[in-house]
Amino acid sequence: MTSAVTTAYPVTAPELSGAARGRRRNFGPWPWILPAGIGILFVFGYSLVDLLQQSFKYRGAWVGLDNFRLVVTDPLFQTAIFHNALLLFTVPILVALALLFAILLFETRRGMRFYQSAVFLPYLLPIPVVGVVFGQLLQLNGALNSGLRALGLQSFALDWLGDPNQALVTMSAIIIWKEVGFGTILILARLISLPTELLEAAQIDGAGFFKKHLKITLPQLRPVILFYAINEAIVMVSWVFNYVYVMTNGQGGPGDATMVSELYIYRSAFQNQAPELAAAAAVLLLISTLFFIVGFFKVQSRSQSGVLDE
Amino acid sequence: MKRRGIAGAMICASVILISSLGSTGATAVTPSRAAFPTGPVKLVMWWWGEQEAPGAKLWLADTIKAYKVKHPNVTIQTVLQTTDGLVPAFAAAAAAKKGPDLQYFWGGIYAQQPGWDGQIAAVSDYIPAKELAHYINASTEEAFQGKIWTAPWYVNPSFPVIARKDVFSKYKLTVPTTWTDLLKACDVLSAKGVTTIAGGIKDGWFGGWLYSIIGAQSVTSSNDVISAVVGKQKFTDPIHAAWWTRLQETQSHHCWNTDINSLQLYQAQQLWVSGKAAMTVVAGPDTPNFVAKVGASKVVVMPMPKWGTGAFAGKLGTTSQTIGITKWTKYPQVAADFLMFSHQKAQLNNWFARTGSMPADDRFSIAGVKDPVKRALFTSVLAGGPYLENFIPAQLDTDAVFTNAQLVLKGTRTGAQAAANMQSVMERLRKTDRNLVKNFTAWSK
Repeated sequence: MTSAVTTAYPVTAPELSGAARGRRRNFGPWPWILPAGIGILFVFGYSLVDLLQQSFKYRGAWVGLDNFRLVVTDPLFQTAIFHNALLLFTVPILVALALLFAILLFETRRGMRFYQSAVFLPYLLPIPVVGVVFGQLLQLNGALNSGLRALGLQSFALDWLGDPNQALVTMSAIIIWKEVGFGTILILARLISLPTELLEAAQIDGAGFFKKHLKITLPQLRPVILFYAINEAIVMVSWVFNYVYVMTNGQGGPGDATMVSELYIYRSAFQNQAPELAAAAAVLLLISTLFFIVGFFKVQSRSQSGVLDE
Repeated sequence: MKRRGIAGAMICASVILISSLGSTGATAVTPSRAAFPTGPVKLVMWWWGEQEAPGAKLWLADTIKAYKVKHPNVTIQTVLQTTDGLVPAFAAAAAAKKGPDLQYFWGGIYAQQPGWDGQIAAVSDYIPAKELAHYINASTEEAFQGKIWTAPWYVNPSFPVIARKDVFSKYKLTVPTTWTDLLKACDVLSAKGVTTIAGGIKDGWFGGWLYSIIGAQSVTSSNDVISAVVGKQKFTDPIHAAWWTRLQETQSHHCWNTDINSLQLYQAQQLWVSGKAAMTVVAGPDTPNFVAKVGASKVVVMPMPKWGTGAFAGKLGTTSQTIGITKWTKYPQVAADFLMFSHQKAQLNNWFARTGSMPADDRFSIAGVKDPVKRALFTSVLAGGPYLENFIPAQLDTDAVFTNAQLVLKGTRTGAQAAANMQSVMERLRKTDRNLVKNFTAWSK
């Protein structure tokens, strides 16, 4: 970057005084970032301040931490947070599956493009479509269970979304099905860009499939895997609303079996007319999400300085 | 770099949160009592109801067209809402203080709460009391401290059970009218692999229906329910809790379709149409349509089989679906004029012609209704019981009634546990909604 600037200046800068050049250097990238920055700050910064203010008020009157106390002690909110935490357990499954599919696709010579599309397609489907389709498919007397019964597998024909002990697991499986394509493509792209010499050398030395990928491929994929894992952790904490809303008709049911924090916030704000409690819950979600987002940016900055430049 | 990362993180987290929460909060705007405008006026009406009163859309188009002839300067645009979206969409509009000029509400608390929150103007500020006195259920569900929040539109006999005589007779049974007979029928039919009552509770709404039609049998008035809401009674008291036990009995006697938790309300009713179930519960305005699908000679329309000894046992409930005028409309007097126009005789008769259901106006002549099913339904609602779901906080409905009904019908929660949970949710709501006790107490007077 620096060398590009120094080589360009002699062509465009002879008419600028030394002081003007100094000023330009001092401002750095900020003049370019500022317009968009102001826009973002206005749209989101204002809303964030408003959100924070609301979380400390009730019908316009200051109530201190009351809203937070009410939210934190709400068994439904506790359940919602617990479910978000449980959903985090899908992240290692997602990473493992994405890694497996990526390596299999990498090793596949014939029909790679087809398999690539097949794995990536669910990620492209709109969540409402996925929700409606799975909602129908997974009914107790839906297509899946009818198929299982026809095959004599009655004991596997569960009430996938209607049983409170089963619903969150089913929801997790659907999220995994939809999200794994993103990770597969991400990891595969990195795999393809890796230098092949090491793999070839290992093969010549007699390394098998597992040893080759475990000892050579995996260490080189670490930044991408970390990036994907953090991204998915953010999804599980704060982006699963659509799945739950569409598949449970906005109820988070049966009972509170699939209630998550986002749905709690939505229902508080728009269904229960309690915007202050929604604001307090949203602030708490912001704080918890922040941990992941800081991690996300750290990985991204590492990727930018390392992986992407390679 | 670290600071930049945190700043970026803050922005990103804000995007996530703000996408899930808009700015909310409404303030009251005093409506003007300006003369009827002569310049161009555009009103937007958000409504619901085609789902339970098919033909409502055509009626609305007819009425708007007729009103346009009377007032060429007034244009009314209608937007049909989904069942799940009706309340949240209006809440979002109210927060932004823009949206519809006329808004559809379910009766009772669904009309009271927007009034308490300053989102709607009382229609009694614009419609004369003499006129409002004709609107069925206005004084029981929509009245608050001398005002009437919304104008009833059509009546919802709530909620009739429809039974197929042909299915019962096939198994040598008669249509049960008492609880004991119902449970016996459930035992017989479930042993034969036939569903006694078809229901779908995945979307929750059916829980509220069940609460109202089973629970009403043990209370003496809607004020009993309000007393439990404000803490003078408890939802674990026998008159409020017994219905949960009845519900559990229906589960243990295998009265319902096994997939009740994975079907939505309207999906499940089709099991009755196809003859796979002997009974189901339907929306009052839609009852004649269901009867017509099977044939009136094969169907009995009735209240929920009787178990209680309360004044409303063996009776249908009555509620009116209503229209309110939003606080932010520029033309409340035009909106009110349109509502009054919709209650004129021609429109009342056209409502019945289009939907086969009853307009919420006592000037509509039941004597002119030839169909015995419709006539019986319309007559019953004039002396109907309270529709309980409309007298509890909407959040208690979703957080306790919907959820517990799902769990009891799945067999994972007992009736007693459900009642205890409902009581604890109520106690919590009294803390979170600091105006709840005050508003409900004022409403009950």
